[in-house]
Amino acid sequence: MQVRPFARPRPSGSFELYAWLFTRISAVVLAGMAIFHLLYMHLGMGVEALSWQLIAWRWQNPVWRIFDLFLLVFGWLHGANGMRIVIEDYIRPKGWRIAAKVLLFLLTFVLIVLGAYVIFTFKAP
Amino acid sequence: MAAIAGFFRDVTYRGREGQIAWMLHRVTGAGVFLFLALHIINIFMMVFPAGVFNSVLVFYHAFLFKLLIIFGLYLGLLYHALNGIRILIVDFVPGAARYQAPMWRVQVVIFLALYVPSAAILLSRML
Repeated sequence: MQVRPFARPRPSGSFELYAWLFTRISAVVLAGMAIFHLLYMHLGMGVEALSWQLIAWRWQNPVWRIFDLFLLVFGWLHGANGMRIVIEDYIRPKGWRIAAKVLLFLLTFVLIVLGAYVIFTFKAP
Repeated sequence: MAAIAGFFRDVTYRGREGQIAWMLHRVTGAGVFLFLALHIINIFMMVFPAGVFNSVLVFYHAFLFKLLIIFGLYLGLLYHALNGIRILIVDFVPGAARYQAPMWRVQVVIFLALYVPSAAILLSRML
């Protein structure tokens, strides 16, 4: 085995270990779902057809609402956890690092609440 | 010149497949993250009347935005997904870490085989 003196140590302790595992489990789900979603919306539906009316029609089927909710929660949490690690790596001064992480946490809270709110409560008139 | 050389010295760790793969993984991940933030806000706007939502959607129908979707978002998402699968193999298949570099080369071939035809279809259908 090669010696890797600067490599990140294997995660230990509960939070880092679960974050590491979550990233990998959500990756499997997202690799399929996110690419399917992009291609389906651009080829199946067609970008010209994208409109409020099309999404309202799509959300009449609860399966699409659950699909979108999954993408929202798994996709955002996977991305936010990745950004958390990028912040740890590049923002050296402690105060700025904490500030960036607080901002990321607030953004995560706001975007998941907004996204879930519209998925759960949307009613086509 | 010295500044450029210094920059490359600073950002180079091993500088081979592993580092290129890792750098691209970060850059594509950050790009998809940024798009996702805008996308969630944009879809939240479904709470507003159809006219308001559709006037923002004009943005999606712009030529430049379509190019960004195909050559930015789709390229980044596909690379990040394939490289993520390679990371899963390296992490969970015993002994696979030894082959991370040749696996990355195979991954680049798979990426091109998937991306080139599908991007061509996207281009022909979206523009």
